[in-house]
Amino acid sequence: MSRKNSIKFSLIRGLAAMGIALAVAFLLILFSANGSNLPEKFSSSLAALREMLISPVIRKNGTFSVKGLSDVLAGMIPIMFTGLATCIMFAANQFNLGAEGGIMLGAFVTALVAIYLPLPTPALMVVAVLVGGLSVGILMLIPAVLKAKLGVSEMVNSLMLNYVIMYFINYLMNSYLADTSKGITQTFPFRANALIPQMINNGSRLSWGFVVGLIMVVLSWLFMYRTRWGYGIRMTGINQPFVMYSGMNVALIVILCQVLGGFLAGIGGGIEMLGRYNVYNWSALPGYGWTGITVAILAGNNPLFVPLAAFFMSYLTKGCTLMSTNANVPSQLISIIQAVIFIFFAAQQFMSGYRQKLVVKSAQEEQAKARQEGERSDQ
Amino acid sequence: MNIFTTDFFFSIIRIATPILLATLAAVIGEKGGVSNIGLEGIMMMSALFGSLGAYWTGSWLLGLVIAMVVGLIEALLMGFFAFKLQTDIILVGTAVNMIGSGGTIFLVKTISNTVMGQSLTSTTSLITKAHQIPSISIPYVRDIPVVGKVISGHSLLTYIAFLLVIFTIILLYKTPLGLNIRSVGENPNAAASVGVSVSRIRYITIGIGGVLAGLGGAYMSMYYAMGWSLDMVAGRGFIALAAQSMGGGEPVGSMLAALVFGFAQALGIKVSATGVDSNLVAPIPYIVTIISLVLFALNQRRKERKRFAAAA
Amino acid sequence: MSEEYAIQMKGITKVYPNGTMANQDVDFEVKKGEIHALMGENGAGKSTLMKMLFGMEQPTSGEILVNGEKVNLTSPTVAISKGIGMVHQHFMLVPSLTVAENMVLGMVPTKGGFVSDYKKAVQLTREYSEKFNLYVEADARVADIPVGMKQKVEILKALVRGARILILDEPTAVLTSQETAELFTQLVNLKNQGYTIIFISHKLNEIMEITDRMTILRGGRSMGIHETSSVTPQEISRLMVGRDVVLKVEKEEAQPTDEVLRVRDLEYVNDWGKKMLDKVSFSVRKGEILGIAGVEGNGQKELVDMLFGFARPNHGTVEVNGQSVLGLNQRQIREMHVSMVPEDRMIFGIAGTATIEENLISDRCTFPRLNNGPLFNMKAIHEESARLVKDYTVKCKNPHQQVGSLSGGNIQKVVVAREFSNDPQLIIADQPTRGIDVGATEFIRKKLVELSRSGIAVLLISADLNEVMELSDSLIIMCGGKIAAYFEDTRDLTDDLMGKYMLGLERQEADQIRRVCHE
Repeated sequence: MSRKNSIKFSLIRGLAAMGIALAVAFLLILFSANGSNLPEKFSSSLAALREMLISPVIRKNGTFSVKGLSDVLAGMIPIMFTGLATCIMFAANQFNLGAEGGIMLGAFVTALVAIYLPLPTPALMVVAVLVGGLSVGILMLIPAVLKAKLGVSEMVNSLMLNYVIMYFINYLMNSYLADTSKGITQTFPFRANALIPQMINNGSRLSWGFVVGLIMVVLSWLFMYRTRWGYGIRMTGINQPFVMYSGMNVALIVILCQVLGGFLAGIGGGIEMLGRYNVYNWSALPGYGWTGITVAILAGNNPLFVPLAAFFMSYLTKGCTLMSTNANVPSQLISIIQAVIFIFFAAQQFMSGYRQKLVVKSAQEEQAKARQEGERSDQ
Repeated sequence: MNIFTTDFFFSIIRIATPILLATLAAVIGEKGGVSNIGLEGIMMMSALFGSLGAYWTGSWLLGLVIAMVVGLIEALLMGFFAFKLQTDIILVGTAVNMIGSGGTIFLVKTISNTVMGQSLTSTTSLITKAHQIPSISIPYVRDIPVVGKVISGHSLLTYIAFLLVIFTIILLYKTPLGLNIRSVGENPNAAASVGVSVSRIRYITIGIGGVLAGLGGAYMSMYYAMGWSLDMVAGRGFIALAAQSMGGGEPVGSMLAALVFGFAQALGIKVSATGVDSNLVAPIPYIVTIISLVLFALNQRRKERKRFAAAA
Repeated sequence: MSEEYAIQMKGITKVYPNGTMANQDVDFEVKKGEIHALMGENGAGKSTLMKMLFGMEQPTSGEILVNGEKVNLTSPTVAISKGIGMVHQHFMLVPSLTVAENMVLGMVPTKGGFVSDYKKAVQLTREYSEKFNLYVEADARVADIPVGMKQKVEILKALVRGARILILDEPTAVLTSQETAELFTQLVNLKNQGYTIIFISHKLNEIMEITDRMTILRGGRSMGIHETSSVTPQEISRLMVGRDVVLKVEKEEAQPTDEVLRVRDLEYVNDWGKKMLDKVSFSVRKGEILGIAGVEGNGQKELVDMLFGFARPNHGTVEVNGQSVLGLNQRQIREMHVSMVPEDRMIFGIAGTATIEENLISDRCTFPRLNNGPLFNMKAIHEESARLVKDYTVKCKNPHQQVGSLSGGNIQKVVVAREFSNDPQLIIADQPTRGIDVGATEFIRKKLVELSRSGIAVLLISADLNEVMELSDSLIIMCGGKIAAYFEDTRDLTDDLMGKYMLGLERQEADQIRRVCHE
């Protein structure tokens, strides 16, 4: 299939998946919308759908909302990082689901550094986030090494680690670290110079961490497509025996991608913490890891598409929140939409019939072209 | 203070029940070559609809049936995506878990709003003693000293769960269907070459898992806790996967593993009652899982080495 | 008089979707109660023909009659119902189940419809086992029984399903000689009870020993049906391994110099305890092509595995330029300037969904010349891939096309381009032109000769007689894990002579063979 047709197919397939997801969403909204009869329900559903799809960035009066956009961008920060982390791990066919616990641990460790380590201004921020990232990277050695050396499922181990991380943090919080003068479990405030400055002061909490995220996207892409290590990771995901035969170290690659994924999730947690909060108060897994998996699937494991996918997810999340306030449709609709898009995107056979048609068409075109060229050269 | 009281052992069984049900789903699934990591999500969904069903019909039994049917439908849908549309089953499971966590709260809000005119975030206010799966006090057994107090008086579903262990053994090892399930899991080509329909067996395998996970969900919302609330399954579906591996994929071993998890959790509750932070005890099952997976792998490796040494 | 025939396949042609013509107008007839051999080299179309008979593939054209009745074999289930049973080369058994359970899979006897009647399954197994004198342990797990017994289970499985016609696909490939002898006794036994047996093999002595008639396939066509008693082994070998098209490759006389690869007394016993390599010794020198001919499955695959670090021998040494390669990984072996064209290009040779360029750099991605510090030097990589694509005439739009979308010949050119261009001192070429078009075949063969003349040592393993005879300067023939013959000069070799050694009819003296060590 030609490159053009290949792109065309991906695009149409992606739109179809989103279309199905929105149709499912509409049905569910219809079910939950206000109204005593069907036409009434229908119109209020449309209003709700409009709320979800348009209101994140457009005000009631039809003008563009900067605040709305900055909210969406701010929401992208954590899921860009977990998305990148998942991209790198999934690219090597390592189904490590530890980004969820990873972002929590990264946030927590960063918070501790930001509270207790007296460092000068730019250093504290950087050190705090890096230490957060490194701690997760090191922790990911557990599922990674066990997979590489013993073949133990990285999936089950990383899932288990998520819970261990959560309970361990909660234990430390309850027993040692909580500011007991407060009603809820939270730490003492971060040092003022640890906070990541905001890009825009409108309450969106859009910090410069967003730019760091974009830089990490570029770096991740460079790593995956412009270095020997990223190359090894991608080839391992395609054909592991080939990688071994070619003389690369498969075990090392399996470990490397998971450690890097952990590191990215960890710094994501740190940046989210220092950019949005001034105390640490997460007591449960934040869910960003799971959204990160959706982001990675939508981006086709290519870091370059992560911002786009993260924007889409963040936008929908915001849309669903607004819909719940204004149209009385629960915001958790996002989980269902997310799952539906996700599952159709990942389905290899979804629209395979259409793909086959394109392949055949493409082959015919090529033959026709070859024939024309042949005739031309005959003349 | 003595923590090893009859109450304590009673609570192990009580806590282990939903894990056991999901574990049996995992055991049958893995035997059939279907790794269902969506058990968590199925349990959440069944927990919700089981409690709603019991409330609407006023009958715990119908609630239980609804929970099973919901589990079955969800599992078959998973099968459709995994087998028919060729989605990686890990990703299908992940999607089901997403729906199980966020989607359930959407559904409970929407349904309660539509049906009752008020938006609820849990069903705890709806479920009363009348909707609860009944406890059974076993005549004679309850009079046995110590043991009676531990094994009598559990939920009906607890007894069913342990009976299902026997059922699973019979299903897998004593029936034609079980033979088909095991052969499809191990060598689908061999099964297909003698005319066994591989895809049909896979649907049956995942379907049985769905029903079992559905029972586990119903136990959570209709007995263990009174009513459904957000994230109430709390990883039991994942622990079940671990129990399955720890038990070497066999019903009895996996049942013991589920009891170990029950023990760890019961201990956590006990210990935290003495003032120790429960967060320190709660992760024990997860750590135990990782360690046991490693031991299992090391043992496998040792066996292979032996075989190789014998060949050479 | 069609009643006389158990199987009649008339004018069978099979074209696979990718355009490969596996069978062309083949007539195949098997009489009731005979043992009929189906012979031919690898790729001659035996498996495809039998897959159609067992309902696993459908013919593109032609008709199949079973016991004189025209049938439409759409699936193995249908074939089974017509009384056809197949014993696959790779056993279709479930290892963790017992023998009895495997026997009744898909047709389990029950007590009252729900619970399996395992006793009955065991009883059935024993009954059939005794009736046909095929001894199996009904209660043992298949994983724990020897290969010979597994095969008996497969035969019994077919019989218990009512098969009157048995297809055995290279049944002796995995058996030791004692097991083979035992199998033959049992097959004759079955024949005496009126069963019809189709026996796929390319081992001549076996065929002569037990078959009544034979059909020989070559290049997808039938070379006719023959009475075993009326043909000589020489005739069979000529019909089987004759060369169809002779592609001439011009080459100068070899001027071999220093020894590069030195293999001594290599022995290897596989996981089932079968000796796959037996005291194999040879050397390959700079500037020569040493060919290894032989019917597949005679130890070539195992030999290549030892040379490239995929397995370790039980005994013996392998040295490249005086350094042992045993225990080294593929990276270390490649660092010794060893290149390899793998037999299975889709598993080892390429990453299908990656681009041509990405496939061209897999062995050299860490080299300083392709890197700028931590980053790839994309300019150098583009230059290298463009140069290789051009030099090796890979037909593609550009090097960024998916390699999997190319034709087989062009895929192999990508593999070869990579393996030949990395400054090799030794090239192991394992079936380098299998299944690819004539153009690519010719190109790769010329390249091999060119490289050897420039002073590279080449070890060529090929089941394609034409290829080994045309390319090799000298040649060894492997049979049964041993070197059966060594020919210092390939020019005067005939197909006839080769066939005898390949099929184990003759074997050279030890000191003649020893000359390949150049000591």
